[in-house]
Amino acid sequence: MNKQTFLGTALVLAAAVAPIVVDVGEALADRRHNSLGSDVAVRHRRLLVKNRFEFAPLFESTINADFRHIVGGGAKLEYHLGDMLSFGVVGVGATALDTGLVKKIEPTLEMVSDPNTREPSKDEFMTRLNKMPVHGAAYVSLTPWYGKLAAFGQAFVAFDFYFQAGVSFASLKSDCPTTVCSDTHPGVPDAMGNPPDQNPNNDPALNSGGRLGLYLGGGIHVFLNDFLALDLTVRDYAFTDNPSGADFNADLAVTNEDNRFMHHLFFGAGVSIMFPMTVKRTP
Amino acid sequence: MAGTATAQPKADKKEPAPADGGEIEMGDPPPADGGDGGEIDMGAEPPPGDLAADLAAADAQATATKADEVKRTPLAWKDILVVVRKPFLKSGRTELFPIVGTTLNDNMVRHYTVGGQLSYYLTDVLAIGVEGHYYQPSFREPFDLVARQARRLPTVNTYTWSAALNFHYVPVYGKFAIFDKKLVTWEVAFTAGIGAGQSKVEERDKKFPGFTNLLIQPNVGASMRFFLTKWLTVSAGVRDYIFYDKFEPTDREMYSTAELAKENADGALINNVMFQLGVSFWLPTSFEYTTFR
Repeated sequence: MNKQTFLGTALVLAAAVAPIVVDVGEALADRRHNSLGSDVAVRHRRLLVKNRFEFAPLFESTINADFRHIVGGGAKLEYHLGDMLSFGVVGVGATALDTGLVKKIEPTLEMVSDPNTREPSKDEFMTRLNKMPVHGAAYVSLTPWYGKLAAFGQAFVAFDFYFQAGVSFASLKSDCPTTVCSDTHPGVPDAMGNPPDQNPNNDPALNSGGRLGLYLGGGIHVFLNDFLALDLTVRDYAFTDNPSGADFNADLAVTNEDNRFMHHLFFGAGVSIMFPMTVKRTP
Repeated sequence: MAGTATAQPKADKKEPAPADGGEIEMGDPPPADGGDGGEIDMGAEPPPGDLAADLAAADAQATATKADEVKRTPLAWKDILVVVRKPFLKSGRTELFPIVGTTLNDNMVRHYTVGGQLSYYLTDVLAIGVEGHYYQPSFREPFDLVARQARRLPTVNTYTWSAALNFHYVPVYGKFAIFDKKLVTWEVAFTAGIGAGQSKVEERDKKFPGFTNLLIQPNVGASMRFFLTKWLTVSAGVRDYIFYDKFEPTDREMYSTAELAKENADGALINNVMFQLGVSFWLPTSFEYTTFR
């Protein structure tokens, strides 16, 4: 084969092979970009909450309460409609503990009030502070974040963050006896036309009874296994309240106007038990 | 650039399967068969500073390697070992961390702080640093209520500044998906340190002069850091500054001067718990991996 014949053959072969090479290149390019690029972030994921019922015994305590810490136990019941959306209720029975502020004020007060200084007596101050024997909420919950973490390079656990919003309820109670809260006409003249006594310390506290309000919460599940999770939550039960039961607006009488919309922040810790106890996986 | 995906036929699989059968690897799994020889060249790496692009590149690599098999059967995903490198390295880098903060546990005075922290990472999990804060107090509702309702003037101190030498340890590293679409990496750091600060007595009666206290302040805390780019992170955390503070004596009229009042001051152990939030800037702004993909 002479030189010209060889070149001619090579050109013919190159022309024939070129489209094939281009096709292969395009095919390879196609393989590098498929529909998975726009797929979910995590495949074959354990569905730790979807279509599961959650029961969580819990402990709850106020954060930074002014006059009384509310500390108690209760439970959360929640059904997860999907991977991100759920609804539930939480209820807590609680006792009340005096804060450091109350413990500082109370010893300095006299046994009998002084009408000239409008200083309350011990009883007038203490018996008007209210408690919160029962509180809770009904809510919907969104779980937009889930993930997995490694602690000390050894323990690998799944977790999710959730946010809740709904309606709060609370039962408030103060124990001011009529011997202490004796004013029958606070802030207004009595039936005989006598003017108000201008002393708010003997007025009924008006901070007992049921309350309805708003509820906001946020927390984290840390899954210990497929059906047990540590549940840590910060909850805000917001409703009208007057924790001190005293004159707030300085009109020298305790009236309903002294109640105001207040946030009651709680920290809760519980153990969530998920039913059924086995989990499914995503494709 | 951030990952290696290698296909492993079922029959030849010698290495353990990824934890939980194909979930995202959170640690440093053992190398797949073939090691670096099975690496797939995905072309040029994204430019430095683009953490999101790194993560996307890792996903793309994993996607490209086994695309055909996945279409045939979902079970093929069990055969894929996806090794994603840590997308953010801290070792040998310096963190500049402007911080704002607020008090969590004082119902009389809420302090707002502005400050900064400078940390140098000796390893990827251990750092040493210094911090400083300026405090701005704001009296809360009970401060007025106690005076008005109980006829008592609260005894409070406000803080003016603090500084500390801190050690940071990062034992927890993880990632989470937002709405099942976007992956974000994060970590948890614990901090312990020792420092100093200053408190100032708020005089109940202004005719008596107040005084200041120099405080020795150990601190402990925990924070979460979210990685946005190779040089930018967002951190939020809680820090407890512990110190013994001296307050204005209750029988203040007996001590007319500040010195006398300070000598006879009432003391108490204080836990000043602060929530802190900030954006960190990392120097150098990029880093290089020293291990193979």
